[in-house]
Amino acid sequence: MEIKGEYRIPAPRETVWQALNDADVLRECIPGCESLEKVSDTELTATVKAKVGPVSAKFSGAVTLEDLNPPESYRIAGEGKGGVAGFAKGGAVVHLADDGGETILTYEADAKVGGKIAQIGSRLIQGTARKLADQFFRNFAEKVAPGSTQGENAA
Amino acid sequence: MYNFEYTKASSAGAAAEALKADEDAKVVAGGMTLIPTLKQRLAQPSTLIDLNGVDDLRGITVTGDTVTIGAMTTHDTVARSAEVAKAIPALAHLAGLIGDPAVRNRGTIGGSISNNDPAADYPGALVGLGATVKTTKREIAADDFFVDLFETALEEDEIVTEVSFPVPEAAWYMKFPNPASRYAIVGVFVAKAKDGVRVAVTGAGPCVFRVPEMEQALSSSWSPDAVADIKVSDDGLNSDIHASAEYRAHLVTVMAKRAVAGAK
Repeated sequence: MEIKGEYRIPAPRETVWQALNDADVLRECIPGCESLEKVSDTELTATVKAKVGPVSAKFSGAVTLEDLNPPESYRIAGEGKGGVAGFAKGGAVVHLADDGGETILTYEADAKVGGKIAQIGSRLIQGTARKLADQFFRNFAEKVAPGSTQGENAA
Repeated sequence: MYNFEYTKASSAGAAAEALKADEDAKVVAGGMTLIPTLKQRLAQPSTLIDLNGVDDLRGITVTGDTVTIGAMTTHDTVARSAEVAKAIPALAHLAGLIGDPAVRNRGTIGGSISNNDPAADYPGALVGLGATVKTTKREIAADDFFVDLFETALEEDEIVTEVSFPVPEAAWYMKFPNPASRYAIVGVFVAKAKDGVRVAVTGAGPCVFRVPEMEQALSSSWSPDAVADIKVSDDGLNSDIHASAEYRAHLVTVMAKRAVAGAK
């Protein structure tokens, strides 16, 4: 399963990189994020309420920023437990390319779930992961440069 | 199952008000998706607002050029309706293919489209026929109603009250069902009407979608051969243990051909 997408953000790469590392920005952009606290520069704890169709589960867990290569790329990864619902784990490798004062953000995301959610929702996981990833990056592009979400759809 | 409050709504308007007052409340129609979800503890609503007692949400009205179905009308009622079978045979046929007898006896058209499961059958009929969804607030064209995976144009406190289908000249629905669940791995609804041809695909992607290339080809020549060589891209289609994206893309063409061949 491949979840990819690309956004052109009309802001300098440095600004976009700062935003990618800003807990306040991330909190506002992660779909269903109820809290996100910084533990260190690369570790955060989060509570996320995932609502997809009839299912609504609250996950609490950790968000980590890995493979930092400022201001070009990193991997943002999350891992959480949702009580009886099961667990979810996912991440995205994010690349920023400079393009004449604007930034082209590309991402490649993956997701895994286990427990009850995986058992009964397996046919829906890919679609859900793609939708959540796309929502996050759309929110992010809109946050960094309002009015910029002319993003091509996730492929 | 977690504990929740249960109330019976007296009208769609009252149910919408109750939803507005409590954001953790949920409306239940047939409960064919919601109840299993509750049993698995995958959702925890504060209150279930039951629409089953609201009689004016049930029923089928056929006038010359429109079939109108109340939101709480079950799939079985639509499947067995002589009036629907006469006006839009494809619609009665589609309703009879949903799930199994137990699901058809409880499941409703309003519940199915509000849930917007990517593999549900009704979204294909609504988009394929260019239906109009009436809610407690407004009227929404089917093309605008289905937004994305499990996402519709409905607001949090808005409830579907009925769906109106324009009667086409000819239409049919073919699906390749999952043999266990009867969910559509791919379902294609084709319709030829005065204002043009529509081809709607459900089950294949995250949400129902139209195939403009097939619609154009069928407008010039309404025959199975017209769509035989038109392939949809597998980009973004669903892929799971039942069928890969490539296979689903292939099935779209096959089902479209068969639907045109069967159109009446």
